Formats: sequence, structure tokens, C-alpha cells
Amino acid sequence: MAEENGSNLQQFSDGVLANNPVLVQLLGMCPTLAVTNSLENALVMGMAATFVVVMSNVITSLLRNLIKPHVRILIFTLTIATFVTIADLALKAYMFEVSQKLGAFVPLIIVNCMIICRAEVVAIKNGVGRSLADALGIGLGFTIALSILGIVREILGSGSLLNFQILPDAFVDGHSWVIMVLPPGAFLTLGAVVGIVNQIRASRSKGGAA
Amino acid sequence: MKKFIDESWLVLVLGIVFACLLAATQTTLQAKIDDNRARALNNAIAEVVPGLADKEELEVDGNQVFKCLDESGGLVGWAVKASGSGFIDRITLVAGLSADGGAIIGIKVIEHVETPGLGNKIDAGNPFPEQFTGKSAGLPLEVVKQTPQKPNDIQAITGATYSSAYVTDIVNDVITRIRPQLAEHR
Repeated sequence: MAEENGSNLQQFSDGVLANNPVLVQLLGMCPTLAVTNSLENALVMGMAATFVVVMSNVITSLLRNLIKPHVRILIFTLTIATFVTIADLALKAYMFEVSQKLGAFVPLIIVNCMIICRAEVVAIKNGVGRSLADALGIGLGFTIALSILGIVREILGSGSLLNFQILPDAFVDGHSWVIMVLPPGAFLTLGAVVGIVNQIRASRSKGGAA
Repeated sequence: MKKFIDESWLVLVLGIVFACLLAATQTTLQAKIDDNRARALNNAIAEVVPGLADKEELEVDGNQVFKCLDESGGLVGWAVKASGSGFIDRITLVAGLSADGGAIIGIKVIEHVETPGLGNKIDAGNPFPEQFTGKSAGLPLEVVKQTPQKPNDIQAITGATYSSAYVTDIVNDVITRIRPQLAEHR
């Protein structure tokens, strides 16, 4: 199997930075907007999605020589659905309260485009090492992106971080920017963060090109 | 037939393997999940009925009803577990009634998947569920969007009128059905 150029480490770091699934590829917008109203929700969602993309990539990669092209999407979906269900059961068993808060968004990881995208683009064509590095990078990139939004939205919208109140009562009682924990706040924050990221990327490619 | 097997054997094998994996996970974790649910229910009952030292579980009209007693065995209140449709999916809550069944002493939503940031304000710690404390159990509660005018008015959560209404409906329904039958279990 032809390996792509570059190392596994490069694949990993691409997933986090240059190819960040949320901020660069603009995939997985639905959970990004929905569960980032608190940092705790964002982190747990990131963790669950990372688990699923790792298992999906590793299994797809192990079976890559056996998967016939016309059933590959079926097999990807089957694998992803299985591990999302496992993740959902694990959350209900070990993190019950957070699982309640995430509600329907954990099962919705099944339709998170970035996961099936990695299977199709990387895992079906590469060895386990490369696929694992890719999955970890994408998972970490997803978690970081969600956490950035979670931090901004929770501090401004609830005055707290990880449920610890960090802004003074005067701000929290009735004056916190409630809009930040509502959908418009999600879009505003996401737009601002993607804008900043694009600005950084643009200045990097201008200044970095030696 | 051979062509079918040839093309799809992996799908069939994976289907069976994953099904076994899921069954194993479910079997291993179900006990813990049930414990979590039971714990959430017990915590909710203790929060809703203060002074609770012991409880007796009954079944009244299809609902789990708990007769709540203090240390000396005296009746301090009733807790009823009820569920019904919510905006997204089912909502399960515990409603507390005073010992004579005349007043609602509180509610707590224990399971829901309402919209984060909006419908999830039916959770404890928000002003919405606190409105139920002290309401008379004799009149059905009505959801209003503006400031409540009548004693049996409940103000809806801004941006979550449906979730507010669904919770109120569940409470109204279970009280209407259960309350008349409490006397015989006293």
C-alpha cells in the first residue's frame, strides 16, 4: 500500500492544526455549536468523539485489504455506530450527569462527518500506525476546537468554568451574556474563532513562505 | 448465492462481531447504569421531600409512588415518579406532595434530553422548577409567558415554552391521577 509522504507525527499534528476538523475543514459543526455551552460538555464530547474516530480508523485500517469498495460506506457506518453506542453506554455508566446534559448529541456522533471522512481518506489506504496517528490528531484537534469555544461561551454566558464560578456575582446574576450559551452565541463565537484562525493561516503562508 | 457471500461476507461477519461486542458491553454496564438511575431517583426524592428518613415504595395507577417517612415513621410527604413526552424526547421527573396531598412541595426533573441552553433550564438549580414549590395541588397549573397573575400560573422559560409546558403537563397529569388515591395508602 502506498504511504503518503511525511511521517506519522506530521499526520498527527496536521489533524490538530493545519487540518483541524472544526476550524479548518469546517466539519462536525453540529456538536460544535450545540455542546460548547460549557467546557465540561465540550471536553466530554471531544473525548467520546476521539474514542470513536480512533476505533473506527484502527479497525478500518486493519481490515483495509478485505473491504470491498462498494460496501465500504456500509462498513464504516457499522463500525462507527457500534463504537458510538459503546461510548454512550460507558458515559451513562461512568459519567451519568454529563451524559444527561449531552443528551442526544452523543448518539449523533455517528453522523459526525469528520469520523467517516478519516476512514475514507486515511484509514482505508494506510497502515494502522498512520491511521492511529491521524485519528489521535483529528480527535485532539476536535477537542481543542470545542474547548476553545466552550471556554469562551461558558465564561461569558455563565460566568463559570467547569462549573466553578470565576466571574463576580455582579456579572453572573442576570448580567452574564446569556446569549453566549444560546445558539446565536455559538455562531458568533465560532465565526470569531474561525476568523482569527484564518487570519493566522493567511499571515503564516505569506510570511512563512521562504 | 456464492456471489452474494463473496461480496458481503465481511459485512455479515462484522455485523455478528459488533452485535456480540455491544451485547457484552450492555451486559457489563447495565447494572451500573441502573444504579445511576436509581441513585438519581433517590437523590431527587430526598431533595424534593425534606426531612425524609425512610420511604416505602408503592405502585399507584401505574406510577412509582414513595411514601416518605421521618425517623419516627411519621408521614412527611409523598414522592411520585412520572414521565411523559418532552420537546425532544421523554422527560422523567419526581414530584413531591405534602403529607395531606394538598400542596406540591417541589419537583425535580431527573431525565431529559431537552435543548442545551434552553429547554434544559427545567433542571434543578434554575428558577423554573422552583416555581412549583408551594403550589396548591388542587388546581391544574397553567403555563404563561408573562409574569404570573393567578396562583396556579407557572411562568415559562424564555425560549423554551414547549419544554416548560410539557413538564407542567406531566406534573398536572400525575397529580390529577394519583392524588385522590393517596388517602387510602396513608
